[in-house]
Amino acid sequence: MTDETQDLIFDLTLTDDQRMNRETMQRFATAEIRPIAKSVDAGDNPAQTFYPKTVELGISQLPIPEVLGGAGMKRSPSSNALILEDLAHGDLSLALGSISPVAFVNTLIDQGSDAQREKYLPLFCAEDFKTATTALLEPRATFDPTEPATIVTTNGDGFTLSGTKSMVPLGMDAELTLIIGRMENGDPAAFIVEGTPAGMTRTAEDNMGLHGAQLATLTLDKVQLPASALLGEGPFDLQRFIDLSRVGICALAVGTCQAVLDYVKTYCNERIAFDEPITNRQSVAFMIADIAIELESMRLMTWRAASRAEQGLDFHEHAYLAKVFCAEHAMKIGTDGVQLLGGHGFCTEHPVELWYRDLRAIAMLEGMASV
Amino acid sequence: MKVLVAVKRVVDYNVKVRAKADGTDVDLNNVKMSINPFCEIAVEEAVRLKEAGVATEVIAVSVGEKSCQEQIRTALALGADRGIQVETDGKVEPLVIAKLLKAVVDKEQPQLVILGKQSIDGDNNQTGQMLGALANMGQGTFASEIAVEGDKVNVIREIDGGLQTVSLSLPAIVTTDLRLNEPRYASLPNIMKAKKKQLDVYTPDDLGVAVTSHITQIKVEAPAERKAGITVKDVEELVDKLKNEAKIIS
Repeated sequence: MTDETQDLIFDLTLTDDQRMNRETMQRFATAEIRPIAKSVDAGDNPAQTFYPKTVELGISQLPIPEVLGGAGMKRSPSSNALILEDLAHGDLSLALGSISPVAFVNTLIDQGSDAQREKYLPLFCAEDFKTATTALLEPRATFDPTEPATIVTTNGDGFTLSGTKSMVPLGMDAELTLIIGRMENGDPAAFIVEGTPAGMTRTAEDNMGLHGAQLATLTLDKVQLPASALLGEGPFDLQRFIDLSRVGICALAVGTCQAVLDYVKTYCNERIAFDEPITNRQSVAFMIADIAIELESMRLMTWRAASRAEQGLDFHEHAYLAKVFCAEHAMKIGTDGVQLLGGHGFCTEHPVELWYRDLRAIAMLEGMASV
Repeated sequence: MKVLVAVKRVVDYNVKVRAKADGTDVDLNNVKMSINPFCEIAVEEAVRLKEAGVATEVIAVSVGEKSCQEQIRTALALGADRGIQVETDGKVEPLVIAKLLKAVVDKEQPQLVILGKQSIDGDNNQTGQMLGALANMGQGTFASEIAVEGDKVNVIREIDGGLQTVSLSLPAIVTTDLRLNEPRYASLPNIMKAKKKQLDVYTPDDLGVAVTSHITQIKVEAPAERKAGITVKDVEELVDKLKNEAKIIS
């Protein structure tokens, strides 16, 4: 996944930095995320207790230029995908919430204007957690992410936005929200929304999973925005945004599916029935082997899309194929994880039911976790 | 004040170690390696001394094969200013490591040397003490608190059944116990920046130290597997078994 290796079709060797980053991420996920996943799922609010801790990792600072207070590293979709994978091994919903500001930063760097970068990026280099997010999804039948129905009309010097955005991570608290809509001429456009302007209502969602990500629905009723809120100068490259988000969503799925595999492997080797570990039964062993095969395929497809994005190659198709494959298999791995634990899988004592509920969402998610 | 911190590359503490089939050593094939947790505490303490304005420079040193540069880089990512690797081949025993560290101490003249109390692979708990003797420095081992005051360092030591506070003249050696601090996470930007920090490599020859061996490892074996427990009917049977079978009460 190094950029020095462009002549190779597909290189899986991690750079030293990526390896060390993974070590930090895995430690953080094990020590800080997994232990609170259950209580957050049950309703504990992570906004004050957990999210501020992620600042210590400095993920959003990485691609921010040094003059603006960041680390000045090259934007790296591959490294971001690895980070997401490791965080989601701790918990999918908290990983999604942690990465929302990063997705905002990445999109701002990719498509924002110089003035916007200078105004907003330094905020993400401070010591406190900056709550930022991206909003693309809309609650309607046959939703097509490339054609949002949130309509933007020009209004003198500014813009007026009307529509509904759903499943917005950190949606109740976000100080900065990137809202994606469509101009009257059909062109997609993105807007940086500060706080809660008049006409915008935030409603907490009550979903079967992803509780830690604090998903919310944002209703926009003729929200007035200044001209400076329009992201970038040209039309918004919505397809690129969707593709990068798909890579991120796939990486989240890979991380949590790895958690499922690790858990069922240990559990089924230790669970004794009929005087032997249940893994001695082929029906159990084959199921675990299938998870491992499917998971590795998910990972390779995700890494390939990320690697192509990093190299500046076209990755639209790769991201799409990865997303379709990950959506389907994340759901299956979630179900199989619960099934392999038998009756215990149904108990909240084990985390597999939580992973099952969270992994159901992968198919629906779009336009968040942009790597 | 210059602070020298020693770091060692060891099997990660989460790994379940296995002995090789022929019993000659621990199997390190495809095993995750990390910085020794006690060494990490040592680095954290040194970095905190620097942040508090007590230390001016923190140098991380490791003795080992080229791969141990990874652990030096971890120390640099945690906040050490520069690194030194003394490149050796294969297993090196504590006395030789202490001699090599002594040579580095002579070169760098640190006021404080912080080491982990022991490494979680060899569990020798010798290097710090040997270095103290070789360098003729006072030592505060198993530290749970360190405070530098003027030309002294006060060390609270964890000893059997309590705590002991000692005051050492600088330069001094401190070895860390588990409760000294809780190491930070190496942030991603700092991991990147660590790459640009200076890392010098020496050979034992450069330092004038002969790598000798006084210890031969004869055998490594896994702990005996525990037998399954049994359920007793009542307290009487339990007392009877403890008395007559286990013979732990009389």
